[in-house]
Amino acid sequence: MNLGKTAIAAALALFLFYAILIFSLLTFLEGERFLEVLLAPDTLFSIRLSIITATLAMVLAVAIGLPSAYALSRFQFPGKKLVDTLLELPLIMSPVALGAALLVFFNTPFGNLIQEKGILFIFEFPGIVLAQFATIAGLATRLMKTALDEISPRYEAVARSLGASPWEAFRKITLPLSLRGILSAMILCWAKAVGEFGATVTLAGTMAFKTETMPIAIFMSLASADIPKTIILILILAGIGLTALYAVRLVEKRPQVL
Amino acid sequence: MIEVRGLDLSLGDFRIENLNLTVKEEAFNVLLGPTGAGKTLILECIAGLRRIHKGQVLVGEEEVQDLPPEKRGVSYVPQDLALFPHLTVERNLVFGLRTSPKSLFKEDPHLARLVETLKIEHLLQRYPQGLSGGEKQRVALGRALAPYPRLLLLDEPLAALDPALKGEIQQLLLSLHRSIGFTALHVTHDLDEAYLLGERINVLIHGNLEQSGTKEDVFLHPQTAGVARFLGLRNLFRARVLRRDDGRKYITAGVWGKEVMIPLEHCARSPLPGEEVFLYLRPEEVMILRPGKQVKESLRQNIFAGQVERVLDRGTHHWVLFRPLGLEVHLEINLPNYVFRNLGLGEGKEIQVAMRRESFWVIPTK
Repeated sequence: MNLGKTAIAAALALFLFYAILIFSLLTFLEGERFLEVLLAPDTLFSIRLSIITATLAMVLAVAIGLPSAYALSRFQFPGKKLVDTLLELPLIMSPVALGAALLVFFNTPFGNLIQEKGILFIFEFPGIVLAQFATIAGLATRLMKTALDEISPRYEAVARSLGASPWEAFRKITLPLSLRGILSAMILCWAKAVGEFGATVTLAGTMAFKTETMPIAIFMSLASADIPKTIILILILAGIGLTALYAVRLVEKRPQVL
Repeated sequence: MIEVRGLDLSLGDFRIENLNLTVKEEAFNVLLGPTGAGKTLILECIAGLRRIHKGQVLVGEEEVQDLPPEKRGVSYVPQDLALFPHLTVERNLVFGLRTSPKSLFKEDPHLARLVETLKIEHLLQRYPQGLSGGEKQRVALGRALAPYPRLLLLDEPLAALDPALKGEIQQLLLSLHRSIGFTALHVTHDLDEAYLLGERINVLIHGNLEQSGTKEDVFLHPQTAGVARFLGLRNLFRARVLRRDDGRKYITAGVWGKEVMIPLEHCARSPLPGEEVFLYLRPEEVMILRPGKQVKESLRQNIFAGQVERVLDRGTHHWVLFRPLGLEVHLEINLPNYVFRNLGLGEGKEIQVAMRRESFWVIPTK
C-alpha cells in the first residue's frame, strides 16, 4: 500500500468527518434568524462575557505561565519533573472534574475564607475567569515552554557576557526571539478559554445575563430545544474560534525578522 | 594576569580537580585538547556561565568567581557564534555598549576601527541570516571586542568552517590581535590552528592541564605521554632509566637491549634510576646510514639494524616504517624526498639507522 496515498486518504477522511458535522448543522439552519439571534441582547451579552473572561484568563495564564515556562525551560530545580507532569493534568482531566475540584476547594475553610473576605467565585464572574484559567494555564505554560526551548540558551549566555543582566537578556533577546511562539500560545489559549464549558458550568453555573458564556448559551438553548438558535450560536462560536486559529497561522507565517 | 586557581568542577561522571591555568595578558592564548577534555567547561567557568565548586578565577587583581557574567568584563564567542538574529549587524555590534547605535560609529574611534579592520561597514544594516559564514565570524568578533573586554573567550568558533575560510579567519584573528591588542583564550582541538594562533598553549587532557608553554615548548618537547599522544607523536617507546651521571649531566636509559645516553636537559623532569619512562624521538631526526660510510663516534652507540616494512609518499616527504631486527617495535622516519630517492629505499630493504643522543626526549609515564 502506498504510504503517501494512505496518509492523504486519512487526512481527507478526517476533513470529511468535520465537514459532515458542519453540513448537518447547516441543514437545520434557519438563515433568516441568524441576524436576529446574533443581535439578541442575550447573545451579545454571551459574546462579550466570553471575550472579556477569556482575555482575562489568558492574561493571567501568561502572567504566571511565562515565568513558569522559563523556569522549566532554563533551570534545574528539585521537583521539576513533578511540576512538569502536573502542568499536563488539565490536558488529560475532564473540565467538569476540574470545575468540581474548584467547587470543593471553595468549600474548604481556606476556600470559604477567600469567598468571605476576598472575592466571590462561585456562581460569579470571577468564577468564570478562574475556571477558564484553570483549564488553560497548564496548556499556556506547556506551549510557551516549547517556544522558549527553541531559543538556544547560548544567546542569553552571550548577552550576559556582553554586560546584560538576566532580565535584560530575557527582555532584549529571549522574549523577542520567542515572541511568535508566545503569541501563538496566547491566541490558542484564548480560543480554548472562549470555548470552555465544563469547568465554567460547574463553578459558575448557568445564570442568564450573569454567567452565560457562549458555550453555556449553546447548552441552555439546546436544553430548551431551540435547535435553530443552538446552531446559530455554535456557528458564531466556531467563527470566533476559527478566526483565532487563522490569527495563529498569520503569526506563524510572519517572517523571522521584519 | 588572568588566572584560574585550584578549580574543582564536576559534571556527571566528568571531573576537573585542582586545575590551575594562567592566561598571559595581551597575548593570544590557546586551550588545546581533544574532544571531551573539558575545554568548554573551563571557558564557561571563566565567563561565569557555570558555577564552580571550589577555586578562584582572577581577572586582573579582581576575584570574579562569585560575580555574575555581566560583571566580569569577559566576552564570550561560542562555536555557533550566537549572533542575535532579530538585530541588525549594527545593533549586534553595539549590544555590549548598552547604547543606541546612532552616530556611535563616528563618536567611538575603537568601534570605528573595529568596523574598518573587520571590513563590515557595508553589512551594518543587514541581519545575520543573510550573511556568509565568514561575515558572521567577523561580526561575532566585532561584537565581542566592542565593549573592551578584559578577556576574549573563543570557544572553537572556527570548527565548522571549510579549510579556506578557516585560514582566512585565522589570519584575520592574527591581524586583529596585532592591530587592536587584546587578551584571548581560544579553545580548539585543531593542532595546526593552535600552532598558528597560540603565543602560549595550554594542553588539557581529561580535565588535567598537562602542559603550558610556548608553541615550540609544547609541540617540540611534550612533557607528558598524554600530550605526546594527543600531538600525534608516534615514536614513543618505553624505556628504563639505568643510572644518572650528574657530573656530565646525562642519564642512561635501557631501550631495545641497548644503553642510550640522553642529556638531562632533554628530560621533562629529572627521572630516578630504575624509573620507567617514555623515550620520544622525532621522525625527522632518525638518520639512515649509507652502507660503508664512516659513522661518528657519538653515533656508534645508537645504531640499529633492521628492515623497511612500509613506505608512503606523503607529497612533501616520504614516510618510512622501520623495524629493528629481532624486536617487536616500529620506528617512524620522515625523509625529505631527495634523500629518499638518493638512498634508493624500498619495502623489505635492510638498512641501518642511527639516532643522536640529543634527538631523544624523556617523558614520564605518569
